[in-house]
Amino acid sequence: MKLRKTSKSVAEISTASMPDIVFLLLFFFMVSATIKREDNQLDVSVPQAHAVTQVNKKFLVKELHIGYPTDLNQGSTPKILNGKQILQLSNISQWIQEQRSTLDEVYHDQMIIMLKADKNVDMGIIGDIQTELRKNNARKVMFRTLDEI
Amino acid sequence: MLKFKKPKLEPKVSAGSMADIAFLLLIFFLVATNLLQDKGLIMQLPPEAPPTITKIKERNLYTIQINSKNQFLIEGKIRENLNNVTQEIKEFVLNPQHQSSLSETPQKAIISVKANRGTKYKHFVETLDQIKQAYYEMYGEKVNLSADEFRKLNRKDPHQDHLYLLARQNLPMNISIAEPDKIK
Repeated sequence: MKLRKTSKSVAEISTASMPDIVFLLLFFFMVSATIKREDNQLDVSVPQAHAVTQVNKKFLVKELHIGYPTDLNQGSTPKILNGKQILQLSNISQWIQEQRSTLDEVYHDQMIIMLKADKNVDMGIIGDIQTELRKNNARKVMFRTLDEI
Repeated sequence: MLKFKKPKLEPKVSAGSMADIAFLLLIFFLVATNLLQDKGLIMQLPPEAPPTITKIKERNLYTIQINSKNQFLIEGKIRENLNNVTQEIKEFVLNPQHQSSLSETPQKAIISVKANRGTKYKHFVETLDQIKQAYYEMYGEKVNLSADEFRKLNRKDPHQDHLYLLARQNLPMNISIAEPDKIK
């Protein structure tokens, strides 16, 4: 009789460590992620590429979006967006100066401009931006792409 | 006196809902964030200076032109796609059989890309990707790595940095991006 009683014990998995595991996941995502900015003014789907490089110093990267406006009232020609507002070509040099001043002086000439452009925009606007960048001596350009699987 | 002590309750906070709270936060962050996306094709633009004329021998130049109908003109031949371009660039740069139509030395080889104003950005990136892939394959082959392994070398590690520098030695990535034609 005594033997039976002891063998009846049910094996239970302790769930006490569950919060710890979930918190670990949470912290991982908090660290490895950035909060999405409100940048749905433009429709941007970047092209795919395979031979991509990754930037180690993330603070050097400054983003410009190029794409077609989602709001049809804005017209149907490609627009340039700096994350918040639409830039004209002539305002790019000012934007570059502003971005450069946010960096330490040591990194001024290492600033990387990331062009996140829609795959269907014409090269005309991309070329114009490149000319502006060259004028302002921001010569490191990155063409944002998706990694091919 | 002893009897009074017995009903003393230890205040306990239930930790059972902790997991729920954490899950809620986790899901919030999953939805509200995107992973840092900083991958792409990096290029160094030439300085803004009056164009200097340098004579480059035709044999050292591998030209790829893309028109607004998204057709490719590669070394004078019209093509509809970029099949085999990676292979051709490798042959052009390294020129193992010392052919007179291909580059003199890998250092002198220049890959030139020129797009029309009406070219789709997609095709430009595709072209650039093929060129970079060709170079990464060449770098990889020099140090017995695959192109992907070479790209993933971590330069902070001295051994891997050594491999990186060894591979890039005497094999510069000369890619020239010409400005798209201005509308006249």
